[in-house]
Amino acid sequence: MGTENPNHANNYSRPPQNNNSPFSSSRPVVGSQASAFRPTPVLSTPPSGPEVSTFRPTASYVPPTTGPFQRFSSPTPPPHTSPIGQPPAMRPPPTMRPQMPPMHMGSSPLSMNGAVNLQQSQPSLGPTNPSAVRAAPSSAWPGYTATPPAPVSHKGSYGPAPPQPAASGSFSSHQGGYGPAPPQQAASGSFSSHQGGYGPAPPLGMYVGGPTPPAGGMSGLVEDFSSLSIGSVPGSFDAGLDSKVLPRPLDGDVEPSSFAQMYPMNCNSRYLRLTTSAIPNSQSLVSRWHLPLGAVVCPLAEAPEGEEVPVVNFATTGIVRCRRCRTYVNPYVTFTDGGRKWRCNICALLNDVQNDYFAQLDATGRRIDLDQRPELTKGCVEFVAPAEYMVRPPMPPLYFFLIDVSINSVRSGMLEVIAQTIKSCLDKLPGSTRTQIGFITFDSTIHFYNMKSSLTQPQMMVVSDLDDIFVPLPDDLLVNLSESRSVVDAFLDSLPSMFQDNVNVESAFGPALKAAFMVMSQLGGKLLIFQSTLPSLGVGRLRLRGDDIRAYGTDKENALRIPEDPFYKQMAADFTKYQVAVNVYAVSDKYTDIASLGTLAKYTGGQVYYYPSFHAAIHKDKLKHELARDLTRETAWEAVMRIRCGKGVRFTSYHGNFMLRSTDLLALPAVDCDKAYAMQFALEETLLTTQIVYFQVALLHTSSCGERRIRVHTAAASVVADLGEMYRQADTGAIVSLLGRLAIEKSLSYKLEEARNAIQLRIVKALKEYRNLYAVQHRVGTRMIYPDSLKYLLLYALALCKSTALRGGYADSQLDERCAAGFTMMALPVKKMLKLLYPSLLRVDEYLVKSDDFEKLCRRLPLAAQSLDSRGIYIYDDGFRLVVWFGQMVSPDISRNLVGEDFAADFSRVSLVQRENEMSRKLMGIIKKLREADTSYYPLCHLVRQGEQPREGFFLLSNLVEEQVGGMNSYVDWILQIHRQVQQ
Amino acid sequence: MVKLTMIARVTDGLPLAEGLDDGRDLQDAEFYKQQVKALFKNLSRGQNEASRMSVETGPYIFHYIIEGRVCYLTMCDRAYPKKLAFQYLEDLKNEFERGYGNQIETAARPYAFIKFDTFIQRTKKLYQDTRTQRNIAKLNDELYEVHQIMTRNVQEVLGVGEKLDQVSQMSSRLTSESRVYADKARDLNRQALIRKWAPVAIVLGVVILLFWARNKIW
Repeated sequence: MGTENPNHANNYSRPPQNNNSPFSSSRPVVGSQASAFRPTPVLSTPPSGPEVSTFRPTASYVPPTTGPFQRFSSPTPPPHTSPIGQPPAMRPPPTMRPQMPPMHMGSSPLSMNGAVNLQQSQPSLGPTNPSAVRAAPSSAWPGYTATPPAPVSHKGSYGPAPPQPAASGSFSSHQGGYGPAPPQQAASGSFSSHQGGYGPAPPLGMYVGGPTPPAGGMSGLVEDFSSLSIGSVPGSFDAGLDSKVLPRPLDGDVEPSSFAQMYPMNCNSRYLRLTTSAIPNSQSLVSRWHLPLGAVVCPLAEAPEGEEVPVVNFATTGIVRCRRCRTYVNPYVTFTDGGRKWRCNICALLNDVQNDYFAQLDATGRRIDLDQRPELTKGCVEFVAPAEYMVRPPMPPLYFFLIDVSINSVRSGMLEVIAQTIKSCLDKLPGSTRTQIGFITFDSTIHFYNMKSSLTQPQMMVVSDLDDIFVPLPDDLLVNLSESRSVVDAFLDSLPSMFQDNVNVESAFGPALKAAFMVMSQLGGKLLIFQSTLPSLGVGRLRLRGDDIRAYGTDKENALRIPEDPFYKQMAADFTKYQVAVNVYAVSDKYTDIASLGTLAKYTGGQVYYYPSFHAAIHKDKLKHELARDLTRETAWEAVMRIRCGKGVRFTSYHGNFMLRSTDLLALPAVDCDKAYAMQFALEETLLTTQIVYFQVALLHTSSCGERRIRVHTAAASVVADLGEMYRQADTGAIVSLLGRLAIEKSLSYKLEEARNAIQLRIVKALKEYRNLYAVQHRVGTRMIYPDSLKYLLLYALALCKSTALRGGYADSQLDERCAAGFTMMALPVKKMLKLLYPSLLRVDEYLVKSDDFEKLCRRLPLAAQSLDSRGIYIYDDGFRLVVWFGQMVSPDISRNLVGEDFAADFSRVSLVQRENEMSRKLMGIIKKLREADTSYYPLCHLVRQGEQPREGFFLLSNLVEEQVGGMNSYVDWILQIHRQVQQ
Repeated sequence: MVKLTMIARVTDGLPLAEGLDDGRDLQDAEFYKQQVKALFKNLSRGQNEASRMSVETGPYIFHYIIEGRVCYLTMCDRAYPKKLAFQYLEDLKNEFERGYGNQIETAARPYAFIKFDTFIQRTKKLYQDTRTQRNIAKLNDELYEVHQIMTRNVQEVLGVGEKLDQVSQMSSRLTSESRVYADKARDLNRQALIRKWAPVAIVLGVVILLFWARNKIW
């Protein structure tokens, strides 16, 4: 508001024309002057008169005059009684005032460049608010300055603006000029485009003003797609696209609401997401939908408080299922015949209702006991399984640890960290008194531990015969935790010291794995492998193969990403058969062949944790947290999962970490909330006759407390005959998740390049198809059009191509890291996947300095280099790591407050700890908040200073997905490239 | 040596608990488990069985006791002393009743007391070796008498049920067949009656008609 006052002061200085009753008395004067000016609305002739009438032309030359006009619309108008003539008259009606957002004040001084000529009485304005000049967003102005013809076009459209009766004076003409256009846009500078494209575009419109809009080309038709305007001349793409206006998922993942809205009894989308909730009705439609058609299932997703899955016990009735297709009873079945029969919604078979499940129907055909039957009202329930669903009594939770104790694990401090962590988690292991536990350690020999409860110290037995492995003790290698607690405690206490002088560098991993299998095969359970070197002895030994640069770019490249030795796949198959899930913790600074080790996790429903160049001092917290989470999270054991769907639709392929037991039965030795599985379906018949397709996911599992349960998620989706509808109801998150899994699988048998191209090709095809839908009806011209539901797809696809698993070539990421990322991404739920692909970037320095609320000041920024200001501090968060980026020009005080006295030192040796000042507390508060937002992984915090290479490049710059990184396009180029291909 | 241990509710054969990692070194554990389940089913059918019984099956022998509507069953080698096996079951019974005695009737899901497996496991180990001092003492304990416990063959036991099934099936078939026979007989009777009197009735009718016609005409 400070900018207002000088202006008014200027006005006051003008010769007063009328003293009283501003409106009536000023009329004749203004009117006559206005009429005199109208015929000559030439911008270049500055009217020399200090009269208010100078405002007249400004009213018709809209953009340059916004400044002056706004000034008069200030919320602090001069008093009526002032002896000046014009200012009161110029005061806009009260209704105009709220339309002037204060933000325009910043840009007004710039707009004055034109207006100053007109009004000589305001020369001092520019200098009065230098801050405003600096703060003027460059984004708003280039648009304007780059469009010199804009005023002309404006004259065209506004010229015929109704010549107001002179009586209403300049004031009313203002209204006439501004009426149709909200002032916000008027000030944003892209006035012309706004007029041409924005006006007719529906609220959906993402139509963003380019400099050359098809003005007038837009009819009044409501477009149901979004578009990006791209330069009209095919040769000049560079200027054609403003990177500011590209769609970015800065609000995180937005689930499409249509899924739940159309069928409110569907299970929550955190359990099941379809790539499109409109199922195509014919093969030909499927072939025109080039994106994957499928679902992403996270059967045990964590439910927020109050939305727990209801448990249903049918007890003696037995579980109600369809006789033919074995579908579980669900909200979509219909009861007929007075309640004596029910029709299966999936195969339409009429089943009898058992006597003890019978209930009468009311007048509307609903069962009268509906409100006591969660399985008939909720899309997600858990049934207690009767004895027929058990091949054996429910197994106890079982944790077996296979720990590498060679020199590497001791030196890096891993052994100590895991011993401490396991010990601290013993009380929190699920399963209370039934939990079983066991340990094997190995270097060049295998060490077994007798943990019999009657002992005080564990007995160690060493087996050095690696060729013919035997288990030295029939039992007591695997013991009940609650009974042998003191022995286990003693073991974990002494474990680090037992091996602290170990200098053995060998690793008999394969034989140790076999030994673990022998011990575990009776019961199954979870096997946690801690490996710090490349397996070098016995079966399953591996060799260094990752550093062969020559293999890259050739057809043999993919061989590096698949296990070298069939031993691993064979072991994984055996493990799954005996209900053992393998989690691999690889900590190494050298090549460990994650591709081979990870296979164990891939086929047993496990997970790969990889800590490159692990050092206890740095990675301790991360390993600790993730191991603790792995041990204590709610886990379902010896599970199988099957997804059923209606007639005419069939699931064809499954993607994720599991073993396929029969054509459609997923064997999952252990499942937890952090695992998701994707699947694709196809149409079996050429034409679907049903209106609705139902999907039902059933997960039969043993909970940690020893109950056999069946978790059932049911969802319905309507069948459509219109391709546009399919696109409209598409779910970007599910599509990206599926695309990513397909690409990673493809990278195992083809070159990375081909995997990336496959993604691009699918997207291009899909957009081309979509464009053809609308090209005739609407004049899309050179615009790029896409459904609103898929507006982020391009960006995510780009991010996918730049993800650790798929990016670049040899040099762009370590082979081990690449494989580990691939294994991780195959199991990630949708939300985590999207977060990893497009991490959030927050600017925090403002929040740290001022004491304001976090939400307001820290908003997600685009992941581009121009978001980074060298005066700021930023936090980058992809769910797996946090990077705190210090600009070069951050004041030393702030740095000192946050990092301590050694703020100028090398940041790789500085760790962030809470210090005794407000700023540090706030920063740690933010970090804590980010970590707590998602606890499945522990993002380790890295400090990076601008220009500090190679750390900055490694941690942050290579992850700015909108920039040109590692031979991949920037976001703008990517869009242009896709657009070009779509148009061809 | 104890091979398998299972605890089930007699009323409906619902399994309540089972020894952990049972059948570790047993070739055809599944086969014997099936037999045990068949046995439980038999018991639940309410046939009055002795509360203590040994049942021979192949190289092994089942011992079970029924107490408080719960059946405790174990499978041992034939050579394993009967006395020890029953003492083992007694131990289980005492502990089980102490822990879950009042919840047995309300158990709604199979293996509701699977937590008991740790106790089974522990107790089993005590009885593993027949030559420990403790077990020898138990063997010599004259108070615990097992001689009068009947020993039968598993085929016999399971067969009894089968035979009974057969008999009841036959009788029910007999009932329905005889009902059919009665219906048929009644039907035939009626037909025979009609066949016998129909000609006489027709002749009579004709005569009456003639008489009536003559009266009318003349």
